[in-house]
Amino acid sequence: MLNIVVMIKQVPDSSEVEIDPVKMTLNRTKARNVVNAADLNALEYALRIKDKVGANITVISMGPPMADAAIIECMARGADRGILITDRAFAGADTYPTGLTLAATIAKLGNVDIVFGGDETTDSSTGHVGPGVAEFLGIDQITYAKEVDYEDGYVIATRDLEDGDEIVKVHTPVLVTVLLNSNVPRHQSLRKKIDAIRKGVESWGINELGLKPEWVGLRGSPTIVRSMKAIKEPEHLHKTITLDKIDEVVADLVSKNIIKVGGK
Amino acid sequence: MSEFDVIVIGAGPAGSSAAIKLAQGGMNVLLVERGDPPGTKNVSGAVLWGDELSKVVPDWERSAPIERYVTRKEVAFLTEKSKIAISYSSQDLMERKSGKIIVRGKFDQWLARKAKDAGAMLVTGITIDKLVIDGGKVIGVMQDGDVITSDAVIVAEGANPRVLINSGLRPKLSDHDVALGIKETIKLPENVINERFNVDSKGGYASEFVLGFLDDGILSGGFLYTNRDTVSLGIVASLDRLRANGMTHSYDIMGKFEEHPFIKNLIKDGIPDEYAAHLVPEGGLASMPKLYGNGYLVTGDAAMFTFSNGMVLQGINYAITSGILAAETILENKGKISEETLSNYVNKLRNSYVLSDLYTFNGIQNVTWSDFTQKTMPKILDSVMMSMFDERGMPKKHLMQVLSAAVKSNGMKYTELISSGYRMMRKM
Amino acid sequence: MKIEEKLSLLNYKTDRSYAHITIDPDICATCPDHFCVFACPANCYTLINGKLNFKYEDCVECGTCDIACSHGSVKWTLPKGDNGVIYKYG
Repeated sequence: MLNIVVMIKQVPDSSEVEIDPVKMTLNRTKARNVVNAADLNALEYALRIKDKVGANITVISMGPPMADAAIIECMARGADRGILITDRAFAGADTYPTGLTLAATIAKLGNVDIVFGGDETTDSSTGHVGPGVAEFLGIDQITYAKEVDYEDGYVIATRDLEDGDEIVKVHTPVLVTVLLNSNVPRHQSLRKKIDAIRKGVESWGINELGLKPEWVGLRGSPTIVRSMKAIKEPEHLHKTITLDKIDEVVADLVSKNIIKVGGK
Repeated sequence: MSEFDVIVIGAGPAGSSAAIKLAQGGMNVLLVERGDPPGTKNVSGAVLWGDELSKVVPDWERSAPIERYVTRKEVAFLTEKSKIAISYSSQDLMERKSGKIIVRGKFDQWLARKAKDAGAMLVTGITIDKLVIDGGKVIGVMQDGDVITSDAVIVAEGANPRVLINSGLRPKLSDHDVALGIKETIKLPENVINERFNVDSKGGYASEFVLGFLDDGILSGGFLYTNRDTVSLGIVASLDRLRANGMTHSYDIMGKFEEHPFIKNLIKDGIPDEYAAHLVPEGGLASMPKLYGNGYLVTGDAAMFTFSNGMVLQGINYAITSGILAAETILENKGKISEETLSNYVNKLRNSYVLSDLYTFNGIQNVTWSDFTQKTMPKILDSVMMSMFDERGMPKKHLMQVLSAAVKSNGMKYTELISSGYRMMRKM
Repeated sequence: MKIEEKLSLLNYKTDRSYAHITIDPDICATCPDHFCVFACPANCYTLINGKLNFKYEDCVECGTCDIACSHGSVKWTLPKGDNGVIYKYG
């Protein structure tokens, strides 16, 4: 049976994060914690492969102890096992040691055929971690996937590139990063959530992974943040356009040279 | 053998209180809530009256997210240009800490956490479809085709009781069972609230309004509660009057309320932060579903346990008490759950304020939701006040003469006023 | 503040795979009152050139339309899972 790992992250709900007007930093305390949305799309592709050919899906996440709720949610959607990589030593990690730590986790699991992840997180949007993990593991990677299928040892994926779609077929082991909204994640099931809570989430730290403190966390991070700037939020127009007004809207856009009508 | 002793549907005040009590009694409890986290799906004023929660969480006020304590309570009639209020400020109210102003988004999350800490299994983000009934007995719940079994189920799903309806255990709601509540939460700095509402930083202002200025037959009450740094402003509108009117949008009633000169001043410079709507049980005994059956009990808003006599609006305390009593009933009948043993729940409710209040005030909605209370009385009071306080250099009249003139000018007979007033006083 | 602006304050998790409320356009076409349009506090029901238009995305799950519609058009369920409106204050 296939072994699939899905990497997820618990993030503050981006629609609830406010910018502290004084400190110019993100105020995450008021926001709900959710599973990073693109990670749920990644999980959904893993579950579809499980439905098709059978697979053992392990969800892994690096984060504080409370991030176990995000893993439980993924198990409630159909993942079989959950591992939270948590240790004070991992705190303050940038994308480099994060990739290393996740790769070490996957290496320790062993015999992994496909690694999935969202293409980026809503709270930092670097898109570094997935490719980083593939490099640390020394396996092939497929990025920007908007469709993913599996057949006879190959992952077949459609990559959404700026100048068009690219369909690739890559033999396992392979890492796939999945685009946000590329599918509709299935709902959580009460049965599966009860089972997940009973089963629990495993917790692995720096010792379990055999990593050195200077490789991980803040100490292992080459990035130095010099300053943060808040960009002023654009004014919302709050306009609802109903269908009967569509002609007016089109006329307005034409008059402003934003669109052209009837040109061949 | 069932998977759980008890499944509780809904982690609001009723469900979480029940789950805590059951878990404390050593039961294997599943508490299921569709909001994630709890508190993200419900809407409430909200003032929690009384201290019932201490029965399951001793010293609860020390850890609960309480915004302010009610120290100023008002009931006010708003006509188009006037406000006539009964205002009660009291140091005793502060010391008694009887009314706790809360924000349910925070409060429900806190209380559900207490249930989890007590040992209940809390599952959020899941909607139960219906109860599973086998041979007349409720044997568990169904979600997306899966059955989870339990010896008993406590229904604490709130004012829109879909599980009961889907399970054939109550008819669909009608215009007379519920009213429509609409609420806005408005940001105001803490010190502005303290000054504007004349309260200190722990004290709070809670007011109920009769919206006498609404026309075309629309009946609606209003409320305003001060949180720590937000204000909860809302309306509770009669659906049958809205239907009879047939041309007013429900959200425009809210709009008219917040645009009323007296309200507009109170929320001046406030930043609206949330808009919300929810059903409010109003029908009393006539709207109540069967409160128990073989294997299930109904609590809180789902059981229509709310109280409103125009002076106070209560529901959260009824929810908590009914949840605790439902849990007690199940604990006392462990291993012998049946329709007969669970019927003791109703006795417990009758012996508590929950059902006795509902019986004492049966029919009150005919008074609170009447044109006399909401339209005629405010107008008469307005005329009386105006005659008394508007000095025009004319010879003064006795109060009874003023009142008589006010009654007449509002197209009413004196005898009607007395009989309506008497009916009202009797019911309240 | 207009209702559209008030609704824009709200946070939703929209389920793109399931509309939890549906209407029967044939029933709505002959409806004499369209009370849903007036009852719904979230402006989900609108009349456009006399035709009823419904969107579930702005729904706050209050249940009012299920009571309002006396003609059997509204089919009302709760959103699945944790989808739908997410109140901060509630």
